[in-house]
Amino acid sequence: MNNRRLPAFLDSLADGRRPKDFDAAPEDVEVLRTAIELRAARPGDAQPDAAFVSRLHHELSAQARSGPASISQPVKRRRRSTAVAAIAASFVLVGATAAATEALSQGPATQVALGAPRATSLRTGTFETTDGQVMGQIVAYKGSPSWVYMNVGDSNYTGSIVCKLQVDNGSTVATGAFMLHAGKGEWTKAIHVDIGRLRGATLVNSSGDVVASATLS
Amino acid sequence: MLSTVHPSDTDSSQDPRPEDAGITYLRVVDADAYADWEAVYRDNVDRLYRLMYARVGNRPDAEDLTSEVFRTALPPLGMASSKGEVRAYLLATAKTVLAAHWRRHLGLPVTSIDEEADAGYLAEPSGPEPLSDAPQRAGKILDALPDRYRRILELRFLEACSIKEAAATLGVTVSNAKVLQHRALRMAAKLSLELEP
Repeated sequence: MNNRRLPAFLDSLADGRRPKDFDAAPEDVEVLRTAIELRAARPGDAQPDAAFVSRLHHELSAQARSGPASISQPVKRRRRSTAVAAIAASFVLVGATAAATEALSQGPATQVALGAPRATSLRTGTFETTDGQVMGQIVAYKGSPSWVYMNVGDSNYTGSIVCKLQVDNGSTVATGAFMLHAGKGEWTKAIHVDIGRLRGATLVNSSGDVVASATLS
Repeated sequence: MLSTVHPSDTDSSQDPRPEDAGITYLRVVDADAYADWEAVYRDNVDRLYRLMYARVGNRPDAEDLTSEVFRTALPPLGMASSKGEVRAYLLATAKTVLAAHWRRHLGLPVTSIDEEADAGYLAEPSGPEPLSDAPQRAGKILDALPDRYRRILELRFLEACSIKEAAATLGVTVSNAKVLQHRALRMAAKLSLELEP
């Protein structure tokens, strides 16, 4: 243990306090991991506090009430009522095997939900750098249209980055550029391809170097 | 807010849905789906917290990370997805959030989430006890330590004793208890590596 901050970190762990940041050395990692493992084995501490669960629920409720997030906000304003109604419908119309129908009162389009077998509608992957660091994630949704969402957090890169989506035969089916600010950014894109055929995605920087890649599962 | 219907990308202009045609759309759902974001939250908050707690070993960080997973994952979440898909998505989000946590706070990935190995944390059924093998592994590590090393770690990490209380129990000074804890953890770390599957 060659770092003076390491013992303080370990003491905080043992005492149940939030440990303070420090620059860990590679040789610290196994000691830290073991301390975490021992602490996690303390009986009774693995359950979340009821107050925390309630507080987070309130926070998420406020987030939900504040309206669609930027990534899901319709481009065309007139679509909003339809989108919101569709979302509401998706909450309501979940049934068993019996068919259910409900006309939406808002928007010109009507959606009908049917209880039926469904192919994979969501696929996920993790962006990892060439040296194995987790950099972000990608999610692909099946829909009309299907779309992908990805985010990058805490990378060491700022600037434009290009995302390339590949399908099972290796060809690139979609690309798009987005900006990373202080290492963070997110991107959403509608795609017109069966998400079951998506193999993965690659993030490329402005120099053409591969920053990270993800395989969808 | 939750939506899967209209991504905001510029390509949304290519959305094939004719809005004004009065067309009835079919949307397929199944019984194994969540009704709304609150159902996602209620069903997974305990599970995600347990996973994060097992990875960081302290309540404040586990709460922050659990919150961050939900704040990140819920806005783009698709309600038409199955529970399994939603949980896989939450797990992928948790993996990213945990990696960012370690990068931010210690600069190194101390612990990680494996989407296959850790899938059990979010799988049914969700009981009150942690699904991890942490207690068993901790027991094996402790059993392999010399008595005084084992005891200081039991007192500090499992029995919630302060360093003063642990020192008093062992009949040593606080300084000696700190050194003992220090050495015990180093030896435990070596044993932990040997116990890796």
